[in-house]
Amino acid sequence: MGMNRRVLAVVAATVFVAGATVTAASGAQKTDPGVTATSITIGGTFPLTGVASLYSTIPLAEQAYFAYVNAHGGVNGRQITFDVLDDQYDPSKTVPLTQQLVEQDKVFADYGSLGTAPILSTWGYLNQQKVPQVLVATGDSYWGFSHKAYPWTIGFQPDYPGESKIYGKYIQASMPNAKIGVLYQNDAYGKNYLAGLEVGLGAGKNKIVSKQAYDVTAPNVTQQMLSLKASGANVFFDFATPTASIQALVTATKIGWSPTATFVNNVSAPATFMHLAAANGANIDNTISSTYLEDASVPSEANLAGVKLGKAILAQYAPKLDPTNQLNFYGLASAWTMVYALQNAGKTPTRAGLMAALRSLNPAKAKNPFLYPGIQLQTSATDAFPIEQQILVKWGGGATGTWTAFGKLYNGAR
Amino acid sequence: MKAAALAVTAVVIAVLPFELSGYHQGLAASVAVYVIAILGLNIVTGYTGQISIGHGAFMAIGGYTTAIMSHDHHTSLLATLPLSLAITFVCGVLVGIPALRLSGVYLALATFALAVSVPQFALKFSKFTGGSNGIQTSKTVSHLWLYGVSWSCAAIALAAAWLILRGRTGRAFRAVRDSELAASASGVSLAIYKTLAFGISAAFAGVAGSLFVLATNGFAQPNEFGVFLSLTLLIGAAVAGLGSLWGVLAGAAFVALLPTVSQSVPLVGSAHGQDVAFGLAVILVMLLLPTGAAGLFVRIRTLRPNNADTTES
Repeated sequence: MGMNRRVLAVVAATVFVAGATVTAASGAQKTDPGVTATSITIGGTFPLTGVASLYSTIPLAEQAYFAYVNAHGGVNGRQITFDVLDDQYDPSKTVPLTQQLVEQDKVFADYGSLGTAPILSTWGYLNQQKVPQVLVATGDSYWGFSHKAYPWTIGFQPDYPGESKIYGKYIQASMPNAKIGVLYQNDAYGKNYLAGLEVGLGAGKNKIVSKQAYDVTAPNVTQQMLSLKASGANVFFDFATPTASIQALVTATKIGWSPTATFVNNVSAPATFMHLAAANGANIDNTISSTYLEDASVPSEANLAGVKLGKAILAQYAPKLDPTNQLNFYGLASAWTMVYALQNAGKTPTRAGLMAALRSLNPAKAKNPFLYPGIQLQTSATDAFPIEQQILVKWGGGATGTWTAFGKLYNGAR
Repeated sequence: MKAAALAVTAVVIAVLPFELSGYHQGLAASVAVYVIAILGLNIVTGYTGQISIGHGAFMAIGGYTTAIMSHDHHTSLLATLPLSLAITFVCGVLVGIPALRLSGVYLALATFALAVSVPQFALKFSKFTGGSNGIQTSKTVSHLWLYGVSWSCAAIALAAAWLILRGRTGRAFRAVRDSELAASASGVSLAIYKTLAFGISAAFAGVAGSLFVLATNGFAQPNEFGVFLSLTLLIGAAVAGLGSLWGVLAGAAFVALLPTVSQSVPLVGSAHGQDVAFGLAVILVMLLLPTGAAGLFVRIRTLRPNNADTTES
């Protein structure tokens, strides 16, 4: 009804102003690119090969979820097609591939594309073209903060400063005698983590007794770890990227530094990396990190509905994928959110409708089964961060161990 | 005959953008970018015989010049091109100096080290270059702008390469390639001509790097200039035929378009498929056309009179 009235208004206005009835009528009947009566085509760029190909499992899990949705009737009768293109984490490939998706393949939206630099390289372009760039797989906070200048882009996972803010809150609540030593990467990534920690500590900011930066090009972090040990810190924060993070954990054990608590950021915390650190001699038990996803590798979570559903979907539609790999649950959780947004993007989905749906996620309705119980999807006109809660997890079981959630949910929102 | 072919090519390139969609203009522009870079590589490797596996590094320097000048100083994008040219020329000469003492596989390794280390500089000096989050020009360009400027630069580069190589300098380069001993005995200064070849070649790559960054929405980031870019240029030069100018068009089209064209091809379009296709193509070229596409043109040309002969007799 509302739609019809809008069509009428457009037609009437055009007749009145320009008298170009024909163009207006055909223009109004047209759907947005990528949408037909039976299909919705979306696309994304991912490092399927190359340095970051570890993440190549994410789009496969997403495709599995879309296959599951398609088998159950699709989105309002439309089947989802998800074009996955390989950009090798290289912006000079992301840009032409994204142009291909938009201008050649005419996708409805750029969905789930991965990596901060690749997203930065297409950020301006997609917003200029008014093509949704949604649920991008990067934890930088640009996407949430810049929603006014870049209204067609939105992230998904908790952002880095939000995550470290949670650690700060936890320290303030339960470790009054903490003397904190921080290792961070000397760039925007590491500094964002450090800034978030300071915000979370609030009045307890002076608990930080030593901050050691390392350059991403550094061959090792031994010097920094020795300085942290010498500073007398009894809590270690590891805000490094995976390689340096593993080195830091190993080095701490080797130099005989055993802080009462060690925190590893989410990026460096996948079990694969922890196993590697342990295999190289690091003592990693009781290390703390955070998550927002359900974990199929944790026995206590085995009976959660989301874990069961995720395992069943992967077994049927992508049997080669390992359900205990958190990256696959990331893919499922992200794809679930995309399907939910498409369902709420209008009877015939429009690009504007998709953005509106993602910018008005209501936790009472958008109950994502793959997120850790209690963690909500929520956005509003002023809040463009879909997930801001996390639960802390603790490592147990050494080289063959896993993460287990403990304590209450924390909120990293600003 | 050659002039006619040249005229036809020029007309096709001039008319083409009006027949192409914006997306295809962008693709065609990327061919021009590779034309310029491969021309540069061809001058030092094909004509002067100094192998370089590090030309991606010069593209990086050129690309970052454009991105930084535009981002920090709002320099007009066109004005950054001659600047890239000048800076990379100097860098090329500097690299050429140690190259005087190295040859063959040692030079290859030294230039390879260049390709590996230059992107690391961008990470090390992240205040200046944006580090792993990259740096973007203050303005971006349209597909048509990119097409026009890239092919204009490619035309200038082709003309410049032709002028340099047809005369005294080109003869000296070839003399160095064929026999350093004989060249220096005939009064060709190895030091001057080797460093000059590196300088000119790097300058070409620098301009290509600037355009490469503009084609990436003006975004420069270390991952763009990995070792594989240098290898891609070398593959392009091999397909083109080392030591020829005209094959460069074919070589550039091959490396610029194969990834896009092969996407829909089964097996080749899959992950790693493109690498395999690149590798196979190089092996096939080396086996069947050791002189590259340029050699193929020559062969076709020499075939024709023979055919005429047989029909006569």
